[in-house]
Amino acid sequence: MTHVWVTDAQTITPFGDSLEALWLAVMAGRSAIRPLERFAVKGYQAGVAAWIEDLTASDNRSMCRNLTDRLLGQLGPIPPNTDLITATTKSGIDNLERIKGGLPADPADVLPGRLSRDIRLHLQLKGEGFNVSAACASATIALAQGAEMIATGYTDAVLVCCLDLVTEFVFSGFSSLKVLSADPCRPFDRDRKGLSLGEGAAALLLMNDKLARQRGRSLLGKIRGWGVANDAAHITAPARDGCGLRQAVIKALKSAGRNADEIAAVCAHGTGTVYNDLMELKVFNRIFGNRRLPIFSIKGSIGHTLGAAGGIEAAVGLKALNEQTAPPTVGFSSPEKGADNKVSLHPLTFSGNYLLTTNSGFGGINAALILEKGKMN
Amino acid sequence: MKAFITGVGWVTPSGMGCGRDHNNFEMKPDKLPEITRSAVFDAPYPHFGRLDRYSRLGVAAIGFALKDAGLDRWTRKRPVGMIASTVHGCLETDLNYYDTVIPDNGRLASPNLFAYTLPNSYLGEAAIRFGLTGTCYTINSSTFSSPRCLRMALINIAGGQCDKVIGGVCDTGRLPPFSVGSEDHRGAIFFVIEKTIKRARMAYGGLHLSNDGILALNGEKVRSLPALAQKCIHNKSSGNKKTGADEG
Repeated sequence: MTHVWVTDAQTITPFGDSLEALWLAVMAGRSAIRPLERFAVKGYQAGVAAWIEDLTASDNRSMCRNLTDRLLGQLGPIPPNTDLITATTKSGIDNLERIKGGLPADPADVLPGRLSRDIRLHLQLKGEGFNVSAACASATIALAQGAEMIATGYTDAVLVCCLDLVTEFVFSGFSSLKVLSADPCRPFDRDRKGLSLGEGAAALLLMNDKLARQRGRSLLGKIRGWGVANDAAHITAPARDGCGLRQAVIKALKSAGRNADEIAAVCAHGTGTVYNDLMELKVFNRIFGNRRLPIFSIKGSIGHTLGAAGGIEAAVGLKALNEQTAPPTVGFSSPEKGADNKVSLHPLTFSGNYLLTTNSGFGGINAALILEKGKMN
Repeated sequence: MKAFITGVGWVTPSGMGCGRDHNNFEMKPDKLPEITRSAVFDAPYPHFGRLDRYSRLGVAAIGFALKDAGLDRWTRKRPVGMIASTVHGCLETDLNYYDTVIPDNGRLASPNLFAYTLPNSYLGEAAIRFGLTGTCYTINSSTFSSPRCLRMALINIAGGQCDKVIGGVCDTGRLPPFSVGSEDHRGAIFFVIEKTIKRARMAYGGLHLSNDGILALNGEKVRSLPALAQKCIHNKSSGNKKTGADEG
C-alpha cells in the first residue's frame, strides 16, 4: 500500500499562528480558556471559551475568511494538482447570526461548501475539493479520507484544512444541552463538569512517498492507519460501552498493520464531559490493558474546537511523536477511574514510533488515526 | 475500483419508493411530498415524526434504498457505511434553532433542535434505525447532482474500510437568501453499493471508478445522481442482466 506522508502541518489557535506556538503553550501547561467577550453570555450555562482575540470579520464575510487567510499564509507551496478536503461543523454560521440580527453579511458563507470553494480559489488548485461534515470527528474523517485517496492510488496529494469558530449559535446549543463547564474544562479529572468550547484551524498536506521525495518536502510523519465507525446508539451521547470508538481503533490498527502494543501514546478526544471521558477510558483500557502508556487531551489548553479538533490534534500528535513527549493535560488533577498513571498534568516522555489520535461526535460517529514518527525539524 | 449497485431508494417531488417497485424515475422542480412514518416504514418508529424535515427526508430515502437491496431487516449491527452529499444541509433547522436563541438571551434555546443542526445528524438517526456502524459522514457540495459521494464510497470499499456503503444526496432545496449553485433540486436519492454480490438478488449494474475520477455504470459514464437513478431503473426495466455476479 502507498505510504501517506504529512509534509506540512500548521495551526491557528488562541496561542498564535503556528504549530510551534501551540506546542510551546501546551507544553508549558497554559490554557487559553477565558471569559468570552464576543457576545453576551448572561443567559448561558458558562461564560468561558478559548477564543482568538484578533479574529476579524470584514467585507461582510464570516470570521472564517480571516482564519482561512491566516492559515493558508502559514503553508509552504502546494502542488497545483492537489485535491482539497475541508472539514467544519458550522463554518460561517456567524453570518447567519448577523443576517438574523439585521446586519449586512454574505449569506453564502453560511453553507460549509463555501469553505472548500474559497480555499481552492485562493490556492488555485486544479484538483477536487469538498467539505466533510461529521460533527466533532470532521477533521479526523477528512484526514482518513485524504489518506485513503492516496493509499488507493486515486490521487498523489491531498490538502486537509479544518476550522470552526466560537459563535453564539454553537455556544447556546451546547449550553442548552447542559454540557458546558462553568470553569475551564478538566479532561479525565474525577471532578470534571463539562466541556469548554474553542476555535481554531489546521492544515495538513498529505502526499504519497514518490511526490514527497520528488519535491524534497519535509517528512513530518505518516498517517499509517485510519478507522471510522458509528455507535448506532444515540444522537448526542456516546455509547456507554464505547462500541463505535473501539471499532474505529481496531480498524485503524488493522489498516496500519500494527498491534496495540506498538502504540506509544494516545491523543484522546478528552472533552471533559462526564460520559465522553468515561467512555474513552473504558475503550483505551480494554484495548491497551494495564500498560502505562501516556494518554493526553489538549482541550484544557485550547478548548473543544469541534470540526477542527481532529486536525489540530493530529498536528500536535505528530509533534509529540517527534519530540517523544506527551504534552500535559491541562485542568487534570484527580484521576478518573482508569486514568491513573496514564493522564498527567505534566509532560510525559515515551519511546515509540506510533501514536493513536481519536475523536467522537454527535450522530454517534468515531474516528481514529495511527500516526507514525517522521523527521520533524 | 469497482462495486455493484444493489439498491436504489428516493423521495423526490415526483414521489418516493424503491427502484424495484418503479419503472420510472424523474426529478421535478416541485414541492416535496409529506413524509409520514406509515408511508415509509412497516414497523413502528415513534421518533420519526419528531425529526426535522431534512432528517425525515434522508432517513426515508435510506430506508427505501436498504429495502430495495433486501437489507432493511436486521438483528445485529452491521458495518455498512453512509456517505451523503448535500448543498443546503440542515440550514432550515439552523434557522429554526436560532429563532429559539434570539428571545430571552438564549435561555430558551432548544436542545432538541440543536441536535439536528449538523448536516450529518440524520445519518446518525439512520445508523440507529438500521443498525449501521460503518464510515459515516456528509459531503457539502455546491451541486445536488454531484456523484462525488459515490466516488468516495468506492474509494472506501477499495481501501477495505467497508464492504457495503450507502451513498447519495439529501437536500430540502433553496432557501433564499442562502442559496448557492445553479441547480434547483430538492429530494433525496440513495444507492446501496456492495463490494460483492453474495445474494441471489440482481444488481442494477457494476459501478467503476477510474484513477482519473471517471465514474461509470456498466461502462457508461455517470454524469449525475438523478441520471444514475434513471439508468438503474432503465437497466432493470430492460432486463439488462449484464450487471452483478457475472462480472464479479
